[in-house]
This record gives sequence, C-alpha cells and structure tokens, in this order.
Amino acid sequence: MNEETTGWQEFRKGFILENPLMVLMVGLCSSLAISTRVENGIFMGLSATFVLVFSNIIIASIRKWTPDQIRIPIFIVVIASFVTIVDLSLKAYFPPVYERLGVWIPLIVVNCIILARAEGYAYRNTVWNSFMDGLGMGAGYTMVLLIMGVIRELLGTGKIVLFDKQIISLGPFNPPAIFILFPGAFLTFACLMALLNRYKMRKKE
Amino acid sequence: MIERMVKLGVTLMVVGMVAALGLGLTYTVTRKKIEQYDKQVEAQACRSALPGVKSVSEIKEDKKLSSKASKKYQDVQKVFTCGKGYIFVVKTKGYGGPLTLAVGIDRSGQVKGMAVVTSKETIGLGSKALEGSYLGEFNGKTAKDRLKVGEDVQAVTGATITSKAVTSQVKQALEAFDLVKQ
Repeated sequence: MNEETTGWQEFRKGFILENPLMVLMVGLCSSLAISTRVENGIFMGLSATFVLVFSNIIIASIRKWTPDQIRIPIFIVVIASFVTIVDLSLKAYFPPVYERLGVWIPLIVVNCIILARAEGYAYRNTVWNSFMDGLGMGAGYTMVLLIMGVIRELLGTGKIVLFDKQIISLGPFNPPAIFILFPGAFLTFACLMALLNRYKMRKKE
Repeated sequence: MIERMVKLGVTLMVVGMVAALGLGLTYTVTRKKIEQYDKQVEAQACRSALPGVKSVSEIKEDKKLSSKASKKYQDVQKVFTCGKGYIFVVKTKGYGGPLTLAVGIDRSGQVKGMAVVTSKETIGLGSKALEGSYLGEFNGKTAKDRLKVGEDVQAVTGATITSKAVTSQVKQALEAFDLVKQ
C-alpha cells in the first residue's frame, strides 16, 4: 500500500470506525458540556483539531529521539503549548467565543483525545500519517459536536443562531430547556450512541 | 546512570525551551489585542457598577486619584469618575486566583452597585458570592459600616472565601473613597 492510501484511511477512520467520541469514548466531558450550541461546537471542534494536528505532527517528527521514560512530559509540554496558542489567539481575535467556551479551552490540554492520539498513534507512526490521523480525529470530533449542537440547540431553545444570525426556527413553541442542560447532553449522546450501534449491528449481519 | 539522567534532563529542557519560544512569540503578537479587550471588559463592568451611567464614554479613569488611592490601599487598581460618583476597581486574591471587582460609590459615599471584572472563582460554589443577589446586599453600605463577615455581612454557604474577598474589596473601596473624595 502506498503512502497516500494509508493516509486517506487514517483520515477516514476518525469519522465512524474509530470516532473519538462515539467509539473510542475519549474526551467526553468537555464535549457534553459545550455542545449546547452549534457555534460552540464549531469553535471547540476547530480548536481541538488545530491542537490535535499540530501536536501529532510535532510528536511524530521528534519520536525518534524522544526517550521512552519521559515521553509523557514531552507530549504534555507540546500539547499545552498549542493549547495556549489557541487560548491566546481566541482571546485576542474572537473574544465573545472565548468567553463562552471559557475554561474548556485550557482544558483541551487534558482532553484525552489528544494525549491518546499522541501516545497511541503519533508516537509510533510517520509524520504524514499522524497528520492525517489528527485531521480525521479532529473532523470526527467536530462532526459529533455539531450533530449534538444542532439537536440540543434546536430542541432546547427552539432555534439555531449562528454568528448572530438565526438560521432555523421551530416557530412558536415552548422548548424544553432540559436539552441545553446537562441531562440533555446525556440523553442526546445516548441516543446517538444507540443509533450508531444499531447501524453497526445491521452492517455485521 | 548519571549520564542517562543528564540526557533526559537536557532533552526535556530543549523541548521546554522551544515551547517557551513559541509561546513567547504568540504572546507578543496577541498581547495588544488582549489588553484592548481587557480594557473594554473593565470599562463595561465599571459602567454597570454605578446605576444611571448609560455608556462607557461617561466614565473616565482619573490617573491622579488612581495612584493616590493605590498607594495607600494596595488592592485598589483604578479610580474612575463621572458625574454620579466614583467607581473603584479593586483586585484581591479570591479562592481560585485573582478576583477583580468594580465598586460604584455615589457622591454621598454609599455603595450603589458592583460588577465583576474578572473572576476565577469556582462555578457553582464561589461564583454564588458574585451573583447579583449577593452583591446587592452591599448597596447602601458606607465607610461607617464595619463590613465584617459574620457580623453585618453574611457569607454565602460554600463560598466563604469569596464572600470574604468581596467584603474586603468593598471595605477598601469605601476607605479609598474617603481618601479621594473632593
């Protein structure tokens, strides 16, 4: 198999086969917390993807001379640096988003998706494949955040607002606020998981 | 053994140095924008700390008063003035880190309102002492009040440290008011 097809496979697996949230089940707490709005999902997804891609690239390229005993501290330093870069840039250029995502941006440092990919993938694979892996994982993560955001915002507030513009409105009805609260996160996530499992079972048969 | 430890240490140091360099660069690039933003947040908080002030342009920092007040009361950062009274920006140590409040005091020396500038208090615990219902308790207080938690001020359950911080900030603002009032 040549480089490119593997790279493409690495990218694709992040969506369904090895989706970080739905299949690997890592990095759940921040995603449950911020998926109240589609807009949050976009920015959180992009931030995490940025960190994933760049930390994967750096870790894969220095893996040859990273001593085994201190690889975790090195990963953390690399990841934390990129998170801080995202944190500062968001604060400088998108302050309203920064305020809404608040503590969850710095917490990307301890988001298990990123450390899991660094340790489980980038540390053992080529730079190109790690890049594709980071991109795919980030895209899969963003995808789930968006789906959850759409469901929760639409059901919880009765409309979807993107960049101060109303995109969809369900008209006059009293939206059940539970969907933008924590129980709504679990309900939505559980339903998505059930759907995915059903799909997988069907495929197996 | 020692050789290996040195090697590990040096590797970690190199990684740390490269990371620090990257962060330093980002910081330099974004610093101006972030300062601007922080200033805006502060001005907004100050505006809402004194009822009746409609726009940010009505209030202005009085640098002379600021330095006069902060010389005597270290926690007082800035003094803003406007026709209705004074606003003191006070920064102390809260539970989760620095806690900055804007305290609005009218010309007669009564606390009229308060607003949070920045806070790192725990959401759901410390943050309860920063909600309007608690901050409102200080309205009408003057420099004559003792402002002691447990005496004339109640602490919020689960937010004792934050309550104490808020109280001391109001106290300092009132004392600073006595110093700078004209």
